[in-house]
Amino acid sequence: MSQLNYRTINIDVLDPDSSINFPLDSLLPSTLPSATNASEAASAATQIRQLLRGGDPEGALRAVLDSAPLGGDDRAKEVHLATVIEVLQGIRQGEMSRVLEGVCAGEGGSERADCLMKYLYKGMASPAPSSGSKSVSPQSTGGFSQIQGRNLGEGGGGQQMSVLLNWHEKLVEVTGTGSIVRVMTDRRTV
Amino acid sequence: MASPEAHHLFHNPIADHSFSSDKTTLAVARDNNVELYQRSGSKFSLTDELKGHEKTVTGVDIAPDSGRIVTCSQDRNAYVWEQTPSGWKPTLVLLRINRAATFVRWSPSEQKFAVGSGARVIAVCYFEEENDWWISKHLKKPIRSTITTLAWHPNSVLLAAGSTDSHARVFSSFIKGVDTRPEPSAWGERLPFNTICGEYLNDSAGWVHGVSFSPSGNALAFTGHDSSVTVVYPSAPEQPPRAMLNITTRLLPFNSLIWNGENEIIAAGHDCEPYRLHGDESGWQLTGTIEDKAGPGAGNAREESALHMFRQMDLKGQTQADTQLQTTHQNTISTVRVFESTDGTVRKFSTSGVDGRVVIWSF
Repeated sequence: MSQLNYRTINIDVLDPDSSINFPLDSLLPSTLPSATNASEAASAATQIRQLLRGGDPEGALRAVLDSAPLGGDDRAKEVHLATVIEVLQGIRQGEMSRVLEGVCAGEGGSERADCLMKYLYKGMASPAPSSGSKSVSPQSTGGFSQIQGRNLGEGGGGQQMSVLLNWHEKLVEVTGTGSIVRVMTDRRTV
Repeated sequence: MASPEAHHLFHNPIADHSFSSDKTTLAVARDNNVELYQRSGSKFSLTDELKGHEKTVTGVDIAPDSGRIVTCSQDRNAYVWEQTPSGWKPTLVLLRINRAATFVRWSPSEQKFAVGSGARVIAVCYFEEENDWWISKHLKKPIRSTITTLAWHPNSVLLAAGSTDSHARVFSSFIKGVDTRPEPSAWGERLPFNTICGEYLNDSAGWVHGVSFSPSGNALAFTGHDSSVTVVYPSAPEQPPRAMLNITTRLLPFNSLIWNGENEIIAAGHDCEPYRLHGDESGWQLTGTIEDKAGPGAGNAREESALHMFRQMDLKGQTQADTQLQTTHQNTISTVRVFESTDGTVRKFSTSGVDGRVVIWSF
């Protein structure tokens, strides 16, 4: 024990008053929905896909945002994120404004808008699903070619990003900057 | 409404400001000092400085009746300043905190004041005659993080506090021998020191920046970094509130708010202008901005001649200078205070902010 290097001890972990021991779950409201798992998220996804295929994009987006697994585990959240992105990609650009206005109106509209904003940021933060197999190393390209490499070389990733950015622009027109601020504060993550 | 009366005092942020009851003295927290301004005509001019704090002053409050000034600072101290023939004399207050003091307000009775701090306590301070100094009692229990803001109930016993743990809380700060027993209300009947009369959290859980009791004291409003305002109507002691209404806005977060009567709230913050919210127990909504932008905005947009346009393009590479905001404040508003009111109805209020301006608004 005499050999222990005291300088390497992370004292913050031992201090109950330290900010890194702040109980983050104390920031979750009592209205948080019950926990869900991946299989429930997958079955919700099937229903939502049916709505989308049935030509009801507004209903699909509404349903996918209302069924967000705010209390779910990581796997459920991942599955649901994929469903949301699928719905967003499945809505044509010309229809976006109309769909968005419908979804953000009525009872619970502002909650749906805040939820969609969370998904947009999560979608932009997470790597594209196809990027695992053929990643372009940033070192091998430089300057403009790097940007092009991302957009064209990776295919799926760049396209997904442009869809999300389009939605982001439209959503900010409807909900303003307040919704972006709430993505940062809200501990009910998606 | 009449155009606002803007006083650009200096080019530093104003952490807090306070007017004396006769509205001729203005105390402003600037860096490590508090500056006192006297009204002369339509302007305020610097007359005195309260020097003593060693770090940034975070709060200043002038007691309306006694004229005493309380200040608090990041150096973990608070002083009570009293005017003597030889100038302002400070008295140190024993806060017993090991982090910065963040906010200070006199109770309406002026017998006590409360200091919020980063040490996760609220120091409720009162004067002890026999020892001839200000001592403090700590409100501690459920606070998990820094206190950012405080507000007193009209009965001088209940104290609302906002914190960076995203909760707004209502405490009892009853001190035997100083306070008279308060009337029972929806907040509580028996109120020993450190009774928690309410603890509220938003769904979207932002740091709380501002709290305020309604003039009757029967409702509490708080605003946080989630760009929303929450209004709480308590039902009975130990019961969940009768109504808790959350108004999410499309704006940047508000830093401070005041009530105007029981049905209107004035809030201001990072959008650099005050907004109005209207409602009652059944629902609240944002009704719009208070600032009439046709006035100052139109004054700024000078007539554009071709010569002027090309000169601007030559000098600055742009035709219009867009570095000026359309609002009276040119940066975040940090404090909103009632300036003049009768029976809880506000006729004038004042704001101060990061741009070094103090603005008096009238309805």
